[in-house]
Amino acid sequence: MFFIISFVLFFSIFQSSLSNEINLYTTRHYEADYEIYRKFQNITGIKVNVVSGKSKPLEKRIIEEGKNCKGDLFFLADAGRLYSAEKKNLFQKIKSSLLNEKIPTHLRNDYWYGITKRARIIFYNPEYINSEKIKNLNYEDLGNKEWNDSIAIRQSNNVYNQSLVASLIYNLGEKKTSEWLENFVNNFYKTPMGNDRAQILAVAAGEAKLAIANTYYYALMLSGKKGKSQQEAAKKVKPLFPNKNNRGTHINISGIGVLKHSPNKINAIKFLEFLVSEEAQIHLSKNSFEYPIVENIEIPEILKLISKEFKEDKDTPVEIYGKFQTRSFNLMLEKKWN
Amino acid sequence: MFKINYYSKDNLLIFFLVLAISAMAITPLFSIIISLLKIFFLNSSLDGKFLFEYIRNSFDILFFVIILTSIFGIIPSFLISFFSFWGVNFFKYALILSLAIPPYIFGYSLSSFFENYGTAYSLLKFFSPNIGNNLTLNLSAKTMTIISLSFSLFGYIYLLSMTTFNNQLGNYIEMSKTLGISKFRMIKSIILPLSRPAIFIGISLVAMETLSDFGTASFFGISTLTTGIYNSWFIFDDIQTSNLLSIVLLGFILFLFYVENKFQKKKKFHDSSYKSKKIKPKELKGFYNFLAFFVCFLIFFISFIFPLLQMIYWSIIHSNYFYNFDLLALNLNTLFLILTTSSILLTFAFLCNFGNRLLKNNFLNIISNLSISGYAIPGILISIAVITIFSTISDLLNIELKSVFIGSFIGLVFGYFFRFYSIAFNGIKSNYLKINYQIDESGYLLGLSKVKMFLKVHFPILKRNTFFIFILISLEIIKELPITLILRPFNFETFSTKAFEYASQDLIEAAALPSLFLVLWTTILILFSSKYFLKK
Repeated sequence: MFFIISFVLFFSIFQSSLSNEINLYTTRHYEADYEIYRKFQNITGIKVNVVSGKSKPLEKRIIEEGKNCKGDLFFLADAGRLYSAEKKNLFQKIKSSLLNEKIPTHLRNDYWYGITKRARIIFYNPEYINSEKIKNLNYEDLGNKEWNDSIAIRQSNNVYNQSLVASLIYNLGEKKTSEWLENFVNNFYKTPMGNDRAQILAVAAGEAKLAIANTYYYALMLSGKKGKSQQEAAKKVKPLFPNKNNRGTHINISGIGVLKHSPNKINAIKFLEFLVSEEAQIHLSKNSFEYPIVENIEIPEILKLISKEFKEDKDTPVEIYGKFQTRSFNLMLEKKWN
Repeated sequence: MFKINYYSKDNLLIFFLVLAISAMAITPLFSIIISLLKIFFLNSSLDGKFLFEYIRNSFDILFFVIILTSIFGIIPSFLISFFSFWGVNFFKYALILSLAIPPYIFGYSLSSFFENYGTAYSLLKFFSPNIGNNLTLNLSAKTMTIISLSFSLFGYIYLLSMTTFNNQLGNYIEMSKTLGISKFRMIKSIILPLSRPAIFIGISLVAMETLSDFGTASFFGISTLTTGIYNSWFIFDDIQTSNLLSIVLLGFILFLFYVENKFQKKKKFHDSSYKSKKIKPKELKGFYNFLAFFVCFLIFFISFIFPLLQMIYWSIIHSNYFYNFDLLALNLNTLFLILTTSSILLTFAFLCNFGNRLLKNNFLNIISNLSISGYAIPGILISIAVITIFSTISDLLNIELKSVFIGSFIGLVFGYFFRFYSIAFNGIKSNYLKINYQIDESGYLLGLSKVKMFLKVHFPILKRNTFFIFILISLEIIKELPITLILRPFNFETFSTKAFEYASQDLIEAAALPSLFLVLWTTILILFSSKYFLKK
């Protein structure tokens, strides 16, 4: 017993005594991320220690650790979560002209920086729907009567859906969004269930006419990494980028900020700058099928193929997702989006 | 008679040790109640109608899961205990294996098998290339949740009804046969009433697991009390409401504890009556033989073989993920956690039980009985309590404890301690009660010291069962997810955190390999101790 306790103590003290390293909290679980961490270590000799998990528990852990927090960086998928961490004073401002130069202004602020982006778009099955007829579709049109019993989308507790509705609140106002939601929810082909991929599959199978999902899910299926049957299903489906004649398609980011009490701040900034290097951006895009945050970076063929008509919404600053998320979730629940 | 001298030095030491351990085990409960008090001063994000929906869903699921697990548990145990048919000795042990599959892993398998263009489609396509995709089982999310929970939890009811059927009913059945009572009356007036207490304990275990389940309900997207706890915190940033919901949940679960306790007391009475005779099973022939075999096979197949095959299938088809795992580290981490946590839990549980037995102090007794509350608190709230408790102590005493306890092995082991102490404490307690007090008295009269009494008298008697409790704790630790996820140190993974990571980025096929290893561990542990499972 005594032996075990001293072993544990030794182990945990040993853990925290290495110096040339950075400690990263992340809500992203991609294998490609771990490869990036290893690449960074090979180049700089700085080891990246990782704890992954869900955003709120990690937030809580960072808050309670306070000044003793060993973490240097917090990497979050969804701009709303970045906003939440910022409002809780978890981040510190950093100065890096390189980051400011490479990352577009609407995808960063003083506290955090977007690293990758994804679009939340519409998928349809050309066997059942004429491509010409819907080529100018907007998110706003999905409340129209013609789409009754047609739309597949996951549940309201999904953060990407909350951000999408938040962007509508910002652009249309709460009243209009609420009216739109009422009709939109009525158009669901069934009670939402499953992840983004399941919605695309429902369209492939002809059960639903339109699905709303993130781009990388579709690219992943198309790439064959999810097996032949999924690839076959993805080929039956076509992507459609809504709102291309007005403000553009809704996008979201994964972003990262330096924690307030970061013990290895200089290394942390080095890591941030590495994440926007060409090598890292290409690697992330190639493996997770997200879009690079830095412009003019080569993207994988599959992504090129599906993104021909991609016009990004650059007018809606992503940080507003955080501001409106709670309101959007309340509205969604109110309109019985489960 | 041997009298306790409360003021002797070592008794005081034992008193305070027991008090300290038990009080420590209750801290999460207090931490939640204290933070709950704040709710009266704050506006809750929770609308009354959502609470109603959460409770309704929880109850719907609970109701059907109880019915299904009772059917899946009682029917095969009845067949196996009273009849002889093909494969009866195999099924006797094989049906316990369902406990090796966590409900959320069963859920992944179920949904991926039947989804559009899922595994069922791929398999059929392999045999007949022209097949269309019209195989989806259009089951609702609630039904899938109920099925997943039922097939992975019925093992509790199976085990408990097996033990009463085999250990307690022999004499009664023999007697009723001699008296010429009809079969129907035998079932109605003897078997059912006598096995009810044990079956009820099984049901209450199923109910507790169902109510605190997060993985399955959230995977299928059902709003239950437990997922409500997560939602109100994750989306509304309202940890107070989470605590409120968890107290509602805790209320239900403590009620179940109470009922279970009551029945356990009754069961003790039955136990001590006689040594029971073994039942002579009746041989089944022809169609009935096949039917009994088929029922057991079907339950075994769906509950264990089906998810296992699905995982093996993925691991083979997507073997490229194999290189992503540091299998040695994952196995060592698992072993390390099991050994550290269970030795600490068992030591504390022995100490508290011994202390309670020696001192017979009412106050200590109440505190120790409360100390099992951790099992009823959802893992995520336990981990939040651990973080809050240590950061509060650290701030109050102005000593740097945070880096020692938050995000370290020690903190992680504390989390497990809070959650699983009840298994160790109750397990040892129920066996301690079987040791007659007169043994202690004569031992002390013969001049044995307390340490010797424990080492030479109690421990040898309790030893056999301690191994069984060790296995139970290990099973829980291997399957545990939220506490590990939140409290672990940097770069520390277990099979369940790995499986979760992949499943949450929608790479369930990559989650197959860690899940498979997880099931391998739990299966080996169950097989190791299958004899204890059926004899307990």
